[in-house]
Amino acid sequence: MVLTVFAQVVVRWPEDDSLVNADARSNEADDIRRSGEGDSEAYRRLIERHQEHVGRILWRFTRDRRAHEELVQDVFVEAYLSLATYRAKAPFEHWLARIATRVGYRYWRERDRVKQAEPFSLEEWDQVTGDEDVLDRLEPNEAANLLHRLLGQLPPRDRLVLTLRYLEECDVAETARRTGWSKTMVKVQTLRARNKLQKLIEQSGTELTP
Amino acid sequence: MKWETRIQRLAARARTEPPPPIDVTHSVLAVLRAGQAEPIAVTERFWMWLAAASAAVAVPAAVVAVALYNASSGPLPEIINSIAWAM
Repeated sequence: MVLTVFAQVVVRWPEDDSLVNADARSNEADDIRRSGEGDSEAYRRLIERHQEHVGRILWRFTRDRRAHEELVQDVFVEAYLSLATYRAKAPFEHWLARIATRVGYRYWRERDRVKQAEPFSLEEWDQVTGDEDVLDRLEPNEAANLLHRLLGQLPPRDRLVLTLRYLEECDVAETARRTGWSKTMVKVQTLRARNKLQKLIEQSGTELTP
Repeated sequence: MKWETRIQRLAARARTEPPPPIDVTHSVLAVLRAGQAEPIAVTERFWMWLAAASAAVAVPAAVVAVALYNASSGPLPEIINSIAWAM
């Protein structure tokens, strides 16, 4: 009888989300503390736990696999070097997301400095988005590629705010946290970027070259 | 369809795209080992701020000292000194 009850408790325990989450948070806090003390195994666990999330964010910033891998690597190197600044007020994942956004934005600014925007034709945009059926039939990677190149025609600052708002579905507060800008700044920047994008789209039929 | 609705629908399709699988564990640890990088501890951060504050004070102090020295070693102070001695 006692064994049955014990077995039920043991079986049910992992299903209790709050307990599992608390346990995971405790492990994570422990790994962060150990990493700060130079424990590479602890940091390995942190990387393994979060690299998919960081990779997802940075896939919005580049669609080149090699550059993508380098950017993800940069995020974890930067995160390690500034571990002492992590105050645990927000989840570690959010802190990493801010670093990832900063690294991605820096990558765009570097590319913008050497004028490495990918060519984009608005005719292509019209063909794809003019018909609702075509839009719904688009493969996710085709949609992502098209949007990536369209937003790539904008300056990095505009591109960043629109990427966060449209693709990452960040609200004003989250965009402010991710960029380090004030909420007012985010609102102003979003408005400016939207206007630029609208003008760009309205130039249908014009061939754009970087 | 409004332009922004098209963008939002395109973004909704794009969000379903899975990112490529990635594993940077070894490369990150290799970079950190090669650079012998260590996270900056709180005490180190304190010393860094102290050093920066000291430098911020020291530079203007040196500039003022040089200016005072130049002002007190020119021909005018020598004339004033000699007049004061004669009187």
